[in-house]
Amino acid sequence: MSHPVEQHPVTKTVERVDAREKARGETRYLADIPFPGRLFARVVRARIVRGEVVARNTPSLPEGYILVTADDIPAGGKNCVRMIEDDWPVFSEGTVRYYGEPLALLVGPDRATLAHLTEQCERAVEFRQQEAALTIEDALLCRGGAIHGTDNVYCDYQVVKGDPDGAMAGAARTIEGEYRTGFQEHVYIEPQSLVGTREEGRVTIYISTQCPFYVRKAVATALGLPQEEVVIIQTPTGGGFGGKEHYPDVLATTVAVALTRIDGPIELILDRMEDLEVTSKRHPSRVRYKAGLDEAGRISAFDVDIAFDGGAYESSSRVVLQRGMFSSNSVYEFPHVRVRGRAVATNSAPSDAFRGFGAPQGLFAAEMFLSRLAREIGVDDLDLRKDYLLQQGSTTMTGGRIHEEVKLPEMLEHVLRVSDYRRKREAYAAAARDNGANGTDGAASAKPLGGIGLALFKHGSAFTGSGEQEIIKARVRIRKRADGRPELLVSNVEIGQGVLTTFCKIVAQVLEIPYTDVVYDDHNTSHVPDSGPTCASRSVAVVGYLLQEAAKKLKGRLHEPGEFEVEQVYKHPEHLRWDAGTLSGDAYPSYSWGVNCIEVAVDPLTWEVDVRGVWTAYELGRAIDEEIVRGQIIGGAIQALGYAGLEKMENPEGRFLQRTMADYCIPTSLDYPGVDYALFDNPYPWGPFGAKGGGEVVFDGIGPAYAAAVQQAIGREVTRLPVTPEYISELVHEK
Amino acid sequence: MSTPAWIRPATLKEALTMRRDYNARPLAGATDIYVRHRAATGTLPPLEDRPVLYVGHLPELTSISEDGKGWLRIGAATVYTDILEHPDTPLLLRRAIEELAAPALRNAGTLGGNIGNASPAADAVCALYALHAEVDLAGHAGERRVPIAQLITGPGKTTVGADELITAVSVPMDRPGSFHYYRKAGTRRANALSKIAFCAGGTVLEGRLTGLGVAVGAVGPTIVHSRDLEVRAEGSDLARYRKLQQEESAPGGFLTARYMALISPISDQRSTDAYRRRVTENLLRDLFERTIPTLLSGKAG
Amino acid sequence: MKNEIRFSLNGKEETLPGDPRRRLIDVLREDFGLTSIKEGCGEGECGACSILVDGRVIDSCILPAGAVEDRTVETLESIRETERGEKIVQALTRGGGVQCGFCIPGMAVSIESLLRTNPRPDEHAIREGISGNLCRCTGYQQIVEGVAAIEHVEGDNS
Ligand SMILES: Cc1cc2nc3c(=O)[nH]c(=O)nc-3n(C[C@H](O)[C@H](O)[C@H](O)COP(=O)(O)OP(=O)(O)OC[C@H]3O[C@@H](n4cnc5c(N)ncnc54)[C@H](O)[C@@H]3O)c2cc1C
Ligand code: FES
Ligand code: FES
Repeated sequence: MSHPVEQHPVTKTVERVDAREKARGETRYLADIPFPGRLFARVVRARIVRGEVVARNTPSLPEGYILVTADDIPAGGKNCVRMIEDDWPVFSEGTVRYYGEPLALLVGPDRATLAHLTEQCERAVEFRQQEAALTIEDALLCRGGAIHGTDNVYCDYQVVKGDPDGAMAGAARTIEGEYRTGFQEHVYIEPQSLVGTREEGRVTIYISTQCPFYVRKAVATALGLPQEEVVIIQTPTGGGFGGKEHYPDVLATTVAVALTRIDGPIELILDRMEDLEVTSKRHPSRVRYKAGLDEAGRISAFDVDIAFDGGAYESSSRVVLQRGMFSSNSVYEFPHVRVRGRAVATNSAPSDAFRGFGAPQGLFAAEMFLSRLAREIGVDDLDLRKDYLLQQGSTTMTGGRIHEEVKLPEMLEHVLRVSDYRRKREAYAAAARDNGANGTDGAASAKPLGGIGLALFKHGSAFTGSGEQEIIKARVRIRKRADGRPELLVSNVEIGQGVLTTFCKIVAQVLEIPYTDVVYDDHNTSHVPDSGPTCASRSVAVVGYLLQEAAKKLKGRLHEPGEFEVEQVYKHPEHLRWDAGTLSGDAYPSYSWGVNCIEVAVDPLTWEVDVRGVWTAYELGRAIDEEIVRGQIIGGAIQALGYAGLEKMENPEGRFLQRTMADYCIPTSLDYPGVDYALFDNPYPWGPFGAKGGGEVVFDGIGPAYAAAVQQAIGREVTRLPVTPEYISELVHEK
Repeated sequence: MSTPAWIRPATLKEALTMRRDYNARPLAGATDIYVRHRAATGTLPPLEDRPVLYVGHLPELTSISEDGKGWLRIGAATVYTDILEHPDTPLLLRRAIEELAAPALRNAGTLGGNIGNASPAADAVCALYALHAEVDLAGHAGERRVPIAQLITGPGKTTVGADELITAVSVPMDRPGSFHYYRKAGTRRANALSKIAFCAGGTVLEGRLTGLGVAVGAVGPTIVHSRDLEVRAEGSDLARYRKLQQEESAPGGFLTARYMALISPISDQRSTDAYRRRVTENLLRDLFERTIPTLLSGKAG
Repeated sequence: MKNEIRFSLNGKEETLPGDPRRRLIDVLREDFGLTSIKEGCGEGECGACSILVDGRVIDSCILPAGAVEDRTVETLESIRETERGEKIVQALTRGGGVQCGFCIPGMAVSIESLLRTNPRPDEHAIREGISGNLCRCTGYQQIVEGVAAIEHVEGDNS
């Protein structure tokens, strides 16, 4: 760990405000909160992958139990989970698009009885089954008929820079590549949990979520109520990672419909197996590249075709896809570019947000393709990258500008030095040449095969394009309480990432008071303004900035008598422009940047990969709290190592095979070593004390760095994530 | 008297009576039973209305003792942690247990349960095969002792009688010249289930191999082993071993080829048949081409 | 057979309510209100439900309540009130070991179990000791460093 720069006071680590209570086991998560008279709920699910309900022979229910279906949605309400489109129904009305799709909700007092009744209800449904589309290829061929529209394409975008057709036609040589990534499940350790009830007549939902206002919008839409009539209270949330961005809406709407028949409280907590099997996952991807080289061997044209598996309903696929597209040129500048992106419908659980939000898929493909280009062209991997690096003033693939100074060259040098990359890279290459061990199963030697790999990347902070300005329109307030303490009124929530602390620090720093004097404990949508969802690396970067600006208005006024509030509303920085129609302009207000290096040893007997070292460098504007940022860096790296090497989720026949935590394996404390990191300070004028986003960039680069290291170790090209021992052994045995 | 749901006998004798009278299901650490018959929060596990016979506390089943003839007798309900802490536990078994699950599981799980579960991926059982362990059973008709390989007949199937309990497992203690070879290719580093478990052991003294035991888990319906092949290698010195190995010209020699013919791996949610096959072959070759010849030539440290 | 099942819970003699086949986690959370114990998986994989039985860490989600008859059960509710418990809490809070916090009580119990037999664990022993406690947030390193920095506390290691 190193600090290339002197620390700003706001970067200095403080004790997290929520840590002690959590470490003592005193924090009450949803399942720990007593709700007198609580009833329980279970979702009745379709146990087929695709088809139509032919008959529902619902068994008669004992006294005290009710079965809630689409028929219970009140007049004025709508059978949909409102996200971007309204296509995802609360309850299926007959069509089943994925295994486990909700048909109904059973509510009653006894959990054993409920479990039994749920099974009975599920068994009593008769279906006409249909052939399912389970891969991107299936989707594009409309296997079994279209699931969505006439072609299974949720959205089809194109971004063009320069004259890609002309440049490709004039190319002296073209090189192609295809890359794939798989599902990833969030595995927040607290499963999806909520309690729905009526308080003072209003539908009130206590819920583990990243986005209380998303839940409110979805519940209000389903019930046909004005949004103010619905109250959402976020409970301490045991991890999210994107998995509690939209999915809580899916569950909350089912319980909300039940509340039209009984008052509750109704508890719905997913069993872990159910959670693994039916909740949203990271989008699987297929990315195809074609590069055109001119006579001098320079890359003149860059053509990218991206397809994301969006699953059975659209959810937020289009925005995830856009981020994937905008990441597909990584940190490089090419003169002529075309990127086509499609999100397609399959009969898998709807894919949705997951830390990185499309960028990890795009960046993996980009970095692996660049290393293929280097090999084909016959130049050094690093030299090729350096030739095309974005710098301040560069034009991005969407025709926007890189406004900030790009510190990648010094970050890269730092990582090269601390990892001893150049020497190791050469030594591993020499070892492979000498013993010729690569490619032969442990026959020649049982000695581990070494490799080291690098990745460069960036992540745009906040919503894509004009999203912050046109969709979110964040608003924050700070109340000066009668006791003189400032109270933060925002809708962003703590999910482990530390906002309870960072927000207080930002405001305290402006007001020059101890951060522990700042109050931030109201997570009720009827008390706080909508400052937007907790996602997209936007909490600190966007909302933190609004809080800083609001706090400035409060400065010097804390001693004034009585209670009053100051407010700040989002304003898009004037130098940014964006055209949502053509996807051109500044796709993001700012970027966070990273360099990752990973060293591995591959066991030639079992093809297990031992990670020997992880070195990282980040430029996140400025860290608001070093310990919290470090937590993101290490936690993000380990989660991404899981994605890169361990976490496999397959549904060859529609139902996920890995549906226990024994079979879907996330990293334990013994899987990976510590992570070295360095932070580069580069204050961003529109971020609080210069901060940009840091929650996602820390995930993005690990996959490609890992794959590159394994690639060197085994002397075979890696084109897929996860790089499991099974995949490695396949590669080694291919001729 | 109505059938009790939970039986906690005071003695082994009482346990056997209950086992017979109620067709009760033995339960030691519950780490298999309570996962297999998993209960939703706040409900009872669906145990098919069979009474549970708790045996985890019985002194007769939880002691470890030497028999004076070089064997260690481990009570069937002894938890893994206690086996690890015992100074005489053979290294091969110790290695298998060290890589089995995680501390909380090792504080609850037992050898009796690992045998009763009879999973082809059972790690401790795999080591027991390679050690030629013998299992003591008690029933109303009396006691009997069976080699582990004869007790397990298929996935989840054993010849433990409906009125019997597993009381102990006996393994030969390490002695001069004992060697062990252990590899687990798991789903991850800790708390992992085996995609392949590979155990071998034996003794090399004065350049001669005796008591070879080889067992491979998760590559067939039961743990793969072969008494015949082990016997073929018995008493070999390096020259005889080489000759045996040359009986087949396949990579890895005769022994690798014969063991490969015995495995029948499948693809499942944890791995693929191709991977299991290749890795088994690699480990067999590592054992038969490198480890054993090195030991026999006296070059090992 | 007696019908009363006695056990010691956080230093007090208690009688087990209800059916001995109930999962111990349900008994402790719902009948005794010990909500430091979390349910993350219900299948023995995540360790969020860790408790001590006779001083050793065990997953309470796959343990029948009847199995603790005549045994000693301790949960974080009592551990956190001891000197070593407080050191563990501080080790977790000061070094950035806590993020969403859902895994943390179980983590603390595993650390207590480890320190009782190995008061000065090295990095590997710590990683081994918490290897049954899954954390999706922290990446473990801060937890490992925090525990490595704990000073040895003389105490009841029984
Ligand atoms: C998270 C997790 C990880 C695991 N990891 C591994 C692993 O890495 N490797 C591995 O091999 N296993 C693993 N297991 C499985 C399990 O922990 C072991 O098989 C353990 O040895 C079972 O012992 P137990 O005492 O808990 O069995 P129980 O669940 O009590 O019993 C299992 C079976 O054995 C029978 N039985 C128990 N005792 C006797 C007896 N004395 N006489 C007759 N029958 C008896 C029972 O009736 C039952 O059929 C894991 C389990 C979990 C939950
Ligand atoms: S809840 Fe018990 S181990 Fe996960
Ligand atoms: S802190 Fe969130 S799971 Fe560990």
